[in-house]
Amino acid sequence: MTNRIKELRAKEDLSQLELAQLVGVRRETIVFLEKGRYNPSLRLAHDIAKHFGLPIEQVFLFDDEAASKPSE
Amino acid sequence: MKKTIVSFIISALVLASLALWALKGHLAGNAKEIVMAGIVLVLVGFAVYLGVSRLHSHQRQEPAEDELSKKIMTRASSLAYYVSIYLWLFVMYISDKTTLEAHSLVGAGILGMAVVFLLCWIGVKAAGVKND
Repeated sequence: MTNRIKELRAKEDLSQLELAQLVGVRRETIVFLEKGRYNPSLRLAHDIAKHFGLPIEQVFLFDDEAASKPSE
Repeated sequence: MKKTIVSFIISALVLASLALWALKGHLAGNAKEIVMAGIVLVLVGFAVYLGVSRLHSHQRQEPAEDELSKKIMTRASSLAYYVSIYLWLFVMYISDKTTLEAHSLVGAGILGMAVVFLLCWIGVKAAGVKND
């Protein structure tokens, strides 16, 4: 599973710590998510997607989906 | 915050006991005891590291624990449990092949469990936590 957190965070000019504080996790968790070393719980995925104002499937992409939708 | 303070107090107590033990002359020239003291120091270092990282989280107004840190702990604990079973099997195997007394073997086994947990924690943290 891949995600667009880094890209979306950069768009909003948000630091990892700020995003972590907004969704109630440690900064380390955001680092792990961005590096693809952690698959979040549904709750955290929902909170992150909600913060960016996007549906979960536009923030978190399964590898087969990411390969079929390279332009998104 | 309470857990952070407890971890610092326990670390200080362990260090004080180790210092007392060393002052009584147990460490003088005894390689086995020096190795054990070294392992205890590494474990205390690990506890202090966890305490300091919790303290930093508190200062940054982050939660001291979140789903990732809990998952790392859970995975490291379960892995350490499996490995420790083999460790105790090994201790049982060498128990009649060594001159070490029973209490020394038990002490070494307990220290070994702590080291196994530390290594598992490092391994899980390095590998990351993925469900797929």
